[in-house]
Amino acid sequence: MEPRGSSGVGSGNSGTYTPEIAESLRFEEEIQSLIDPSFDASSAAGGSFTALLGLPANQAVELLHHPGPGEPPASAATDTLRLPFGCSSTFVERAARFSVFATDDSPASSSGGGLSPGLKAEPPDSDSPPTLPAPAGKPRRPSKRKECEKSKAKAVAKKSKSAEENTSAAKPAAEENTSGDKLPYVHVRARRGQATDSHSLAERARREKINARMKLLQELVPGCSKITGTALVLDEIINHVQSLQRQVEFLSMKLAAVNPRIDFSGLDHILSAECGPLAVASGCGGGASDPAMWASDTAASTGGIRRMPAPPQIWHLDVVHPQQSSTVWENNGVAHPHFLLSPATSLVGYDPASSVPLNSNRLKTEL
Amino acid sequence: MQVPNSFKLALLKQMLLGFQLSAVSSNSMSFHERKNAIKLSADAAMVFARGSTRWTRGLVSSLSKNRNNDGLLRGILGKKYERLSLPCCNSWKIPRSRKILKRCLGLCSRRKKATGPQHDVESSRTLARRLAKKRIQVLKKLLPGGESMEGFSLLDQTLDYAVSLKAQVDIMRRLLKISKASNLNK
Repeated sequence: MEPRGSSGVGSGNSGTYTPEIAESLRFEEEIQSLIDPSFDASSAAGGSFTALLGLPANQAVELLHHPGPGEPPASAATDTLRLPFGCSSTFVERAARFSVFATDDSPASSSGGGLSPGLKAEPPDSDSPPTLPAPAGKPRRPSKRKECEKSKAKAVAKKSKSAEENTSAAKPAAEENTSGDKLPYVHVRARRGQATDSHSLAERARREKINARMKLLQELVPGCSKITGTALVLDEIINHVQSLQRQVEFLSMKLAAVNPRIDFSGLDHILSAECGPLAVASGCGGGASDPAMWASDTAASTGGIRRMPAPPQIWHLDVVHPQQSSTVWENNGVAHPHFLLSPATSLVGYDPASSVPLNSNRLKTEL
Repeated sequence: MQVPNSFKLALLKQMLLGFQLSAVSSNSMSFHERKNAIKLSADAAMVFARGSTRWTRGLVSSLSKNRNNDGLLRGILGKKYERLSLPCCNSWKIPRSRKILKRCLGLCSRRKKATGPQHDVESSRTLARRLAKKRIQVLKKLLPGGESMEGFSLLDQTLDYAVSLKAQVDIMRRLLKISKASNLNK
């Protein structure tokens, strides 16, 4: 079940926080790898607004986590950033801290002035998760504004999936690859030596299949469709299956308690007549009913059977027991013709089986 | 419900056949024997009605481990019994080879992780994966024949099994209701 977790990440379960964290942690590694290699000033200064959004995040993470070695490029970053923006360092810090920034540009830029200064003086944030989602969220969200978001997302998904399969050898390769990228969204580029497109397609297809099954299971289990997250859904499924198994045990126990007084042989015979020939080990429980009684009931019953009663009817077992005396029939049978509904259909469902009226005559005569 | 009526019908029929064969109605059995016979009939009927799937085969193999059940199983399943007891295409080799593969992959990834970047905070993705893995192990134990299944097939069979179980419970409930009603009438 290796891709399971990654499938959650890759397919973007927006409801949970974990994909963001996962993405951000991935992102952090790549940012660290980008510290020394080229900072492309031209791309920072130029490009679209969203490009500017992307870069500050990169630099902000750098600054936060590696204040020492990151200073020269950081200063360069802030210098260039001061060009487009008036208060870049605070802006950068704000950008790094608040993921909302990416979705809502104006408040962020306006609030940039009110931030505490001295980004470099700030100690590296030891608590990585809170800050990391911010930079991770930001580059992803601006990327969504771009046209090629799908391919980026796919590449990101591929990346996240292949994260644990990464060798250390792949990382320098990734550095080279990503550093050569002129676009600011370096993190979405596919790594070298990783799965080719055909593989990723197969993986994606497999993940889709698994997700489809999970959805079906979610629909099956009541109250499961609101739950997000594979582990919780699996929890529910397990509980459901366990409860069903326990119910079977319980019901068999109850049937055992009830059973000695019930003769199921008659039932079985009726079902065999209903469903076709069945090799019944023991013959039908003898007893001949009054044929006249049957004949009078037949006409009434065929009409009754065509009427499907809405509430679940408990058909009288009197129907089943051939040993029942005709007196019982007089009491029950005539008054309620619809109780002569085929026991099979009433037990099983409300199929308007067309064969039922035909069989009913046969049933009656056999019994 | 996703279960066709023919399934339920076959289920009921075979269950009743099983009751007959095991003579649950007679007074000669103890309570536990009767309960076990009923449960066995119900399971065998479910297998019969469903046909040949991985979980049915697993269920048949686990049921037939008990020698006492043989007669009843054969009676209910008839010809299908032989077909269902066949090990499905190296069913024992597959889990073994998977275990070997997983062990190798685990060792390799562990070696890589030792040399790779160290994180104080465990990646949430791996955490989610570990949780899901635990659940999957539990599910494998639940599902008959689930040990040899992986990933997609596990989920698929779980779905199938859950639907069949639901139908089985439904039929048993109705049977119970009927028998109770007939008791009242007597």
